Amino acid sequence: MDNLTDLPSPDGFFGQYGGKFVPETLMHALNELDETYARLKNNPKFVEEIDQDLVQFVGRPSPLYFAKRLTDHYSGPQIWLKREDLNHTGAHKINNTVGQILLAKAMGKKRIIAETGAGQHGVATATVAARLGLECHIYMGAADVKRQSLNVYRIKLLGAKVHSVDSGTATLKDALNEAMRDWVTNIEDTYYIIGSVTGPHPYPMIVRDFNAIVGRELRKQSMEQFKQYPDAIVACVGGGSNAMGIFYPFLEESNVALIGVEAAGSGLKSGKHAAPLNDGEPGILHGAKSYLMQDENGQVVDTHSISAGLDYPGVGPEHSNLKDSGRANYIAVDDDEVLSSFHLITKLEGIMPALETAHAFAALEHVAKNYKSNQHIVINVSGRGDKDINTVATMDGISLD
Amino acid sequence: MESLLTRLDERILSLKKASKKSLVAYLVAGDPDLDSTLELMYGFVDAGVDILEVGVPFTDPIAEGPIIQAAHDRALKNDTSLNKIFKLVEKFRKKNNDTPIILMGYINTFLANAEALKEAHQSGADAVLIVDIPGESNLKDLGIKNQNLASISLIAPTTSKDRISKICKSSSGFIYYVTLRGVTGSSDLNINEAESNINYIRSKTSLPVFAGFGIKTPEDAFNLGKISDGIVIGSSLVQMIHEQSNKKEFKKIYNYLHEIAEAISR
Repeated sequence: MDNLTDLPSPDGFFGQYGGKFVPETLMHALNELDETYARLKNNPKFVEEIDQDLVQFVGRPSPLYFAKRLTDHYSGPQIWLKREDLNHTGAHKINNTVGQILLAKAMGKKRIIAETGAGQHGVATATVAARLGLECHIYMGAADVKRQSLNVYRIKLLGAKVHSVDSGTATLKDALNEAMRDWVTNIEDTYYIIGSVTGPHPYPMIVRDFNAIVGRELRKQSMEQFKQYPDAIVACVGGGSNAMGIFYPFLEESNVALIGVEAAGSGLKSGKHAAPLNDGEPGILHGAKSYLMQDENGQVVDTHSISAGLDYPGVGPEHSNLKDSGRANYIAVDDDEVLSSFHLITKLEGIMPALETAHAFAALEHVAKNYKSNQHIVINVSGRGDKDINTVATMDGISLD
Repeated sequence: MESLLTRLDERILSLKKASKKSLVAYLVAGDPDLDSTLELMYGFVDAGVDILEVGVPFTDPIAEGPIIQAAHDRALKNDTSLNKIFKLVEKFRKKNNDTPIILMGYINTFLANAEALKEAHQSGADAVLIVDIPGESNLKDLGIKNQNLASISLIAPTTSKDRISKICKSSSGFIYYVTLRGVTGSSDLNINEAESNINYIRSKTSLPVFAGFGIKTPEDAFNLGKISDGIVIGSSLVQMIHEQSNKKEFKKIYNYLHEIAEAISR
């Protein structure tokens, strides 16, 4: 096996996946970003500035917490929670935006754009833009604007403009299309903060690197708190940024099982899901080659998931390579399993996970039985569920009006 | 010696000999339906179009403005696939064997039909233009080897000088210069910038340089025609086709194209 930690290659490939498949107008900006990042990533001042923000603004490190009642519930392995939900703005997304906004600043860009699905990346982007006083535009599918209205209002309060996108399926992929169109048009003064490990090179690498703080902390915390690395790490995968961030520092630790959990929506067999690694084929969307939900003519097919943040037909190229190499395993859980898991975790642990995160918890039903009581599973609690209470109430048939 | 010139090379050469600017016209296959597309292709040629650019619809056309996006959606609702487009080209060739046809679209649809593309010239297609790959990439790099199918590359106002040289080397047919920063159908043409960039591209290649994106009026066409070897017109045609899609009375469109053709030969 290649040394997985050394990827991507200089031209942005993880095995056969990744690359820079974009309109020519964007090439210069991508090359400029690549050069800027290469120059700054090991610059002590730049690193210090990010570290300081992560500690003082984000509230890192996030705790590693022993979920006692959940452990008792499954009467199998010890279940530990990496609490990214406790970060400022309520999810792992801020780790990436804190870093990328400094790249934008270094490149002299005055205008920030981003796409968002669940709204967490939109909030995290609007937050760092507000802090630097930069103009900020968030693209969001019209369907997601509806189901994540709380986050839409948060973004507006932070001074950013929300652009509701009606084209296509009016979800995350269409928000990305529209953000790309904005970028092509305003390329000179605009920095595009992509929110997941997707898109053209160097984004999958940059977003992974900024989120890898999660896995680095876990290496240290697991040694301190249970004297070994985890036996398994479980994280939900839409584009895959929280998973990549916690997986990456463990890629070379072959005793640590890495388990990604995709959205099976109404069930893998129904075709109404968002699980390209489980039921897709390699293709090219949004600048990178990766597993993709598509038909035989290469048209991208509609996806479905209860969670807006996972409702995306593609996935990060690095995950595609980890799947093919066998280093990580990817399973999928459906909407019903996710909803029960949401209630279970809330009642047992007093922690209300985001619906995205509830996918990782729901995976315990499938994987917990494979581990013994002296083993340790870590769930990446990628975000908190406040934003989802309307969706959960609707699913439960309860009106909040 | 037997000539190895393709239909596209021949057309470009004959236009050059006659010192004529090329008029390239774009439409989306299957909008409003494939029969209309065929009728429009013949009509475009009669109105003075030299090269046809046939849009292959895709679910996520990131380089298109709202007009062409909507046309892609309509074409996909009609189940327009690349295979059906090959059949359309075959039909067109029954009555026209000299107007070059370029298939313009997005990489994922081309990759999904890689095998068919290796035979595409047999249906009468002459070139592909893939919008969402860097200028220096071509079909061969993507594992699709077909010597009879040219790869048209785009150069943008943001393309650096060293990349312009690279792109020119890997291109065939002509160079497509994108006249603005933005999606198709935008409206901030900058003629001065276009002129200096096109002059620079010309210093690097003997291929003709065509200008496209954002050309709406005969006036735009005249101004850009003056500084390039030809122009590409798309969004305004797609909009007019849509407006006429109920009555299917396309004469107004042909008159408009005729005016554009006149303007670039002024």
